[in-house]
Amino acid sequence: MAVQGIVVENVSRVFGGLKAVDGVSLTLARGETVAIVGPNGAGKSTLVQLISGVDRADSGSIHVDGVRTDRLSSDRIARLGVGRSFQTSRVFPALTVWDSVLVGVQPGLIERPSGRLIDPVTESLGALLGLGFWRRRVKAQEAAAEAALKLFGDRLWPRRDQPALSLSYANRRRLEIARLLAAEPRYLLLDEPSAGMNPTETEELTHLILDLRRTHPQTGILVIEHKLSMVRRIADRVVVLNQGRVLIEDKPDHALDHPEVVEAYLGKPRTGASFQDAHHG
Amino acid sequence: MELFLSQILNGLAIGQVYALIALGFSLVFGVANIINFAQGALFMLGAFIAYSAIAWFELPLVAAAAVSVVIVAILGLLLERIALRPLIGAPYIAPFLSTLAISTIIDQSAEIIWSPESQPFPAALSNTTFFIGNAYITLTDLVIFAFGAAATVALTLFISFTWTGRALRATAQDSAAAAQLGIRTEAMRQIAFGLAGALGALSGILVALYFQSVFPQMGIPFGLKGFAAALLGGLASIPGAVVGGLLLGIGETLASAYVGDSYRDAIAFTLLLLMLLVKPNGLLGSKRLDALGGAGAAAGAMPTTSLLASSSSQQTAIRAVYLPAWGFLVVGIAFATVPLVLTSTYVLQALIYGFIFALLAVSTSLVSGSVGILSIGHAAFFGVGAYAVGILARPYGLSADATLLVAIALTALVAVVAAIPLLRLTGHTAALGTLAIGQIGFLVFLNWVSVTRGPMGILNIPHPVLEILGGARFATTAQKYWLVLGFVVIGLVIAERYVSSPIGRVWRAIREDRLAAQASGLPVKRYILLAFAISGALAGLAGGLFAYVQQVVSPESFTVETSILVLTMAVLGGLGNFTGAAVSGFALAILPEFLRGFAEWRMIIYGLLLLAALRVRPQGLLGAR
Ligand SMILES: Nc1ncnc2c1ncn2[C@@H]1O[C@H](COP(=O)(O)OP(=O)(O)O)[C@@H](O)[C@H]1O
Ligand SMILES: [Mg+2]
Repeated sequence: MAVQGIVVENVSRVFGGLKAVDGVSLTLARGETVAIVGPNGAGKSTLVQLISGVDRADSGSIHVDGVRTDRLSSDRIARLGVGRSFQTSRVFPALTVWDSVLVGVQPGLIERPSGRLIDPVTESLGALLGLGFWRRRVKAQEAAAEAALKLFGDRLWPRRDQPALSLSYANRRRLEIARLLAAEPRYLLLDEPSAGMNPTETEELTHLILDLRRTHPQTGILVIEHKLSMVRRIADRVVVLNQGRVLIEDKPDHALDHPEVVEAYLGKPRTGASFQDAHHG
Repeated sequence: MELFLSQILNGLAIGQVYALIALGFSLVFGVANIINFAQGALFMLGAFIAYSAIAWFELPLVAAAAVSVVIVAILGLLLERIALRPLIGAPYIAPFLSTLAISTIIDQSAEIIWSPESQPFPAALSNTTFFIGNAYITLTDLVIFAFGAAATVALTLFISFTWTGRALRATAQDSAAAAQLGIRTEAMRQIAFGLAGALGALSGILVALYFQSVFPQMGIPFGLKGFAAALLGGLASIPGAVVGGLLLGIGETLASAYVGDSYRDAIAFTLLLLMLLVKPNGLLGSKRLDALGGAGAAAGAMPTTSLLASSSSQQTAIRAVYLPAWGFLVVGIAFATVPLVLTSTYVLQALIYGFIFALLAVSTSLVSGSVGILSIGHAAFFGVGAYAVGILARPYGLSADATLLVAIALTALVAVVAAIPLLRLTGHTAALGTLAIGQIGFLVFLNWVSVTRGPMGILNIPHPVLEILGGARFATTAQKYWLVLGFVVIGLVIAERYVSSPIGRVWRAIREDRLAAQASGLPVKRYILLAFAISGALAGLAGGLFAYVQQVVSPESFTVETSILVLTMAVLGGLGNFTGAAVSGFALAILPEFLRGFAEWRMIIYGLLLLAALRVRPQGLLGAR
């Protein structure tokens, strides 16, 4: 039985002398929600780039459910069940909302249960001739896409025929998350999902994640988040990164009130009232 | 060994010329962040203006060169003013296509002014040969090298030590910051284009001296080599351009000495493709290439790799209008009745070409529009299909079912292989890669005499016979009309089915944001290769039908002009919109049939159409999809 979860061991990434990620180790088990916090430039996004295979680590290893992934391409890693969002949402601007979400389920359409991909000829025949087996697969994927869009109430579903470029900033974030969820990932990596959202929208997102935790108890969620009030509500554990290193890893209340963390965030020891949200970038 | 050293000296001379062309690319790329496709046309004009000054006005070489350099520098300024300035804020692809249109217009005008033939360029220098040890170098080579090197040094000094030069560099590094410092960045853009024109003219004259001839079609191959040199050096660096030019010159000269002179260009372009394959950012590496077209907006507020996006991240929201797959069937049936009421062979023949080009334009639109890899090389795929039929039909007595099937399969295979070097590229670089593919194709058709019969071409292709229709023979024009229409409709229906299927959706997602598509779990390269296979199959079918209709296959049908023409059709119809591509392919192909007597104006008209469309409606007639 292979080790379940995402296991990051001693991973580093250097950009021309700058150690963006410096010997980081962490784990994300299924069903668990871990928040990564830290000041701007701490290496949080880079870590997500490395786990998702969009960028390559210089050293260290990453395993997903026992499979070593640090040399795999990002599409392979995604098909292992790792879905990620981008700090600046990436939504296929000219595609409609509906098409964008369907792109998310496409890998499931062409993947056999064994994990191998259906060959292009079979895929072409299925798509062109509308064969029965293919249509059933398409129907199932479309149902997943519809369900994912409807998770966001009337934010996205009524806009499904609009191009993504016409969406508001917050809706683009929602669309990106919907695209990930449609693929029913085992692990979800979210890079600042609430950035650019107002308090009401942030509250909505918090509820969405809490709901997800209930409806998908087997999904591991790694979320990079600056809004610490939200972190306190959704996370089981918090990993604080600073200058590419793990500063502390603990339960949210312990980690976030730790003097070193407060200092890393605010540049001086905490005095007086406990701070709520750190606003960086 | 002597031969080897002499070849190296010879290569240094021509390499110095490539370096000059490369510098023209680098300057413009550095300052304006676009690849100026018309650099080759400026180069060609430089050579021809000097030629005319000598041949018509009997100026001495130096005076003729000076006149030419000044005139072409002014043309460079005009190019920026007319073709590019109005497009600021337009989709990423617009400036590139605009310089492509201008280049077509200049090339064709040159053919009208100076005739399409090559002209002898007066040998201004004696045939003196110098020996260095046992290696030799001619006086001409020496002069070319000296002039090229002097121009490079002068440019470097200008860039490094004058105020204008520093302002140019500042603009190249950070246009916005330069503007803040009070530098007039628009003026800098103009200066860059003016300098590029001057460099182009100078290099054109040196090449004319080197080969002692000038011809109106010289712009594209030399422009492409200059681009290859610039790319080799990392595109935005002056020393890089020089090193790249010299390396290319030496490599090409050695290769042509040891492999054969007729393969000189094919080798240069193959080197370019290999470069793109292993080091797409150039030997010296330049991250800025990533920012070209493609990933230009990837760092913006709304990341995308789409060429149809613009720096303001806004795509003009024009709803695409297009037929469903069965719509093509209905239109096809309507067209099938035409020979029943119209018997004019002339009209039917024109319509047949219209159908073939409709299919070819759709094939181009598939990779250029749906996948977003702009193709300026589709004539090569068209040619592979045509030659497959030409070669197989008579000697082997094969039926049309068999020959067309081979044409389709072979072209699909060729397209897939050709696409491999393009897999990691986006934007303008990918487009120039396809141009190299197109050039290689043409050179193979022209030079692989034992298979293609070279410039002679393959004659007397028999009338097609279809075994699946019980050996039916298609001999009359009306019969061929039905045959072509039938196959074209099948091709169009399949293409439309593809692009409206989940596969087509993936293609568009790859165009919109390749990184996100891959991070979503899609095997991006596989889907790109599939697109090239389908596109190649369609182009191969078009080529095969073309061979049966013409009954002759020869290289001049598959020049870069044809590639530019079909790309223009695809853009005018709306990239990725197959209905649009089919309509404009059909219309533009039959248009010249009704403009007899204006044959030589054809490409100019297309160029102007493209320029106008880019300004008025960059999303194409029926809207990009
Ligand atoms: N592709 C890159 N090239 C060079 N430096 C980078 C690159 N990506 C990130 N960095 C640098 O690495 C550091 C960490 O960046 P990032 O992971 O984005 O931080 P965070 O997400 O915690 O704000 C920063 O100093 C950033 O400038
Ligand atoms: Mg970040």
